[in-house]
Amino acid sequence: MIRILILIGFTFLFMHLHATGDISKYINMKYSYISFSAIFILGFLTLVQFYIYGKSEDGEHAHDDSCTPDCGHDHHKKPSRLKNVTVNSILIFPIISGLFFPIASLDSETVKTKGFHFKGLENEGDFGEHQFLKPDTSVYYGKESYNSIMDKELKPFTKGNQVVLNDKNYLKGMESIYYKPGIFLGKDVQFKGFTYNAEDKAAKSNELFLLRFGIIHCIADSGVFGMMVEFPKGTKFPNDKWIEIEGSIETQYYQPFKADIPYVKVKDWKEIEKPKEEYVYRGY
Amino acid sequence: MLDKSFLQMNTVFISILIEALPFVLIGVLIAGVIQMFVTEEMVARIMPKNKIGAVLFGAVLGAIFPACECGIVPITRKLIEKGVPVFAAIPFMLTGPIINPVVLFSTYVAFGNRWEVMIYRGGLAMIVAVLLGFILAVQFKNVKVLKNEIGAVSRSPFNNETAATVSIPKISFYNKLKGTFVHAVEEFFSVGKYLVIGALIAASMQTYVKTSTLLDIGQGEVSSSLVMMGLAFILSLCSEADAFIASSFQSTFTIGSIVAFLVYGPMLDVKNVLMMLAAFKKKLVVSLVVYITILVLLGSLFL
Repeated sequence: MIRILILIGFTFLFMHLHATGDISKYINMKYSYISFSAIFILGFLTLVQFYIYGKSEDGEHAHDDSCTPDCGHDHHKKPSRLKNVTVNSILIFPIISGLFFPIASLDSETVKTKGFHFKGLENEGDFGEHQFLKPDTSVYYGKESYNSIMDKELKPFTKGNQVVLNDKNYLKGMESIYYKPGIFLGKDVQFKGFTYNAEDKAAKSNELFLLRFGIIHCIADSGVFGMMVEFPKGTKFPNDKWIEIEGSIETQYYQPFKADIPYVKVKDWKEIEKPKEEYVYRGY
Repeated sequence: MLDKSFLQMNTVFISILIEALPFVLIGVLIAGVIQMFVTEEMVARIMPKNKIGAVLFGAVLGAIFPACECGIVPITRKLIEKGVPVFAAIPFMLTGPIINPVVLFSTYVAFGNRWEVMIYRGGLAMIVAVLLGFILAVQFKNVKVLKNEIGAVSRSPFNNETAATVSIPKISFYNKLKGTFVHAVEEFFSVGKYLVIGALIAASMQTYVKTSTLLDIGQGEVSSSLVMMGLAFILSLCSEADAFIASSFQSTFTIGSIVAFLVYGPMLDVKNVLMMLAAFKKKLVVSLVVYITILVLLGSLFL
């Protein structure tokens, strides 16, 4: 009986995540069809478990004539009650925690733990760029084709004097800016992200990072992308404030990265609510 | 009020589950199909008689068979139950999640459309799997390796009736299909708990252990390989996504240690070792961990 409930629970958990759209806080929606089909498999297995339960009174064993002597399942020797309870509660835990615990979002704490990509601009233009800050899809294309693709992708951003980054073009836009900072020098840029103060003591308090998490498959493999921003002197922010900024792109030598990096000289900013879609997703 | 970092851990945990569960479901369904439709006679007919042939057969079959590292454990267990020798089944389990079109393609793409890493990855996986097969052929010649194997046969109340059905296969297709799904459910429950625990451990590691501490440990040739293998074990990424993570380590780590990451992760990680413990005897699992670690480490030093 408890097994039926567990299977219903899992089916419902997957259904719930899809129905409410919360699934996008866990995985890249590009792969959502995989977990979507899991709903049907789970639903079907639930029916099978119903059938097993109906066949045998205690729901423990119903292999009937289809069982060959070599089917070696745990249940052949009846597990102790205690073991049963433990096993079932392990399976019930994710159902409860998935349904009822609030979904936490990745934030500056995560950056601190995961922030091992913090160096990496040293060998500018090389393959092995770290994916921190600089979304480098050159790793996806190979050098030459990468350059030609990048030049093409650059186009929409180089038109006019203003670059506006939204949820859709965030990763591509960031990549373009890091790819050829020269073209963007002096241009206006607009984007949003959460604040992150580098753990570097030498950093000026009005210089911080504005970042967003980018997701490949699921949030277990996410990384952060964004730019350093410079506010007027005296402006300070705690970590994890969502801000929308507008400013011009400049470059400066940044000691911790040992490289010139593009940054934004902020002209105008406003604090905003955490956006509904806080992550950006890799589209290819 | 629950701690924020706990909630983050929980969120990562659920996301790993969401990512892995569909593939485990496919795995248990295939295991169910093997249970009902593959007979020991069929296995005996197809399996090469000599050991070297059997090892190679297992490794090549794994290379053709697309699977992910959590889905393949129940399948492997079923195959051993059906009489596939352990030294053929384990190479199958090891090459399955690495050498398949999706994984190799994502590796190729992740490393800038260059063939080297992909070839190293596939090649080292094949070599490790085959060598391991040979070792197992000597060590586990006639040993029972499955958990509850003896218990299952002797205690089954259906032993006598069903013994007949094996020698004279008279089960209708409908019944076989029914049996497939019943077994899939059983398999799901026997393997599911380990998936949950594994995902939980991996998520806590990601949330509470500073990755930078780990990376600071080693930059030497041996130690950097060991660090990358440790990282692969802890992160428990799906073999389709791990290449993208690995590629971000390119400038800090040698190609050898990156290949070690890519080969070791799909063979051994937190969730799949726990799932193996559910399926196989401890002795086999411990041997696998030791041998794979040594072989992958040695292999990575040659690159």
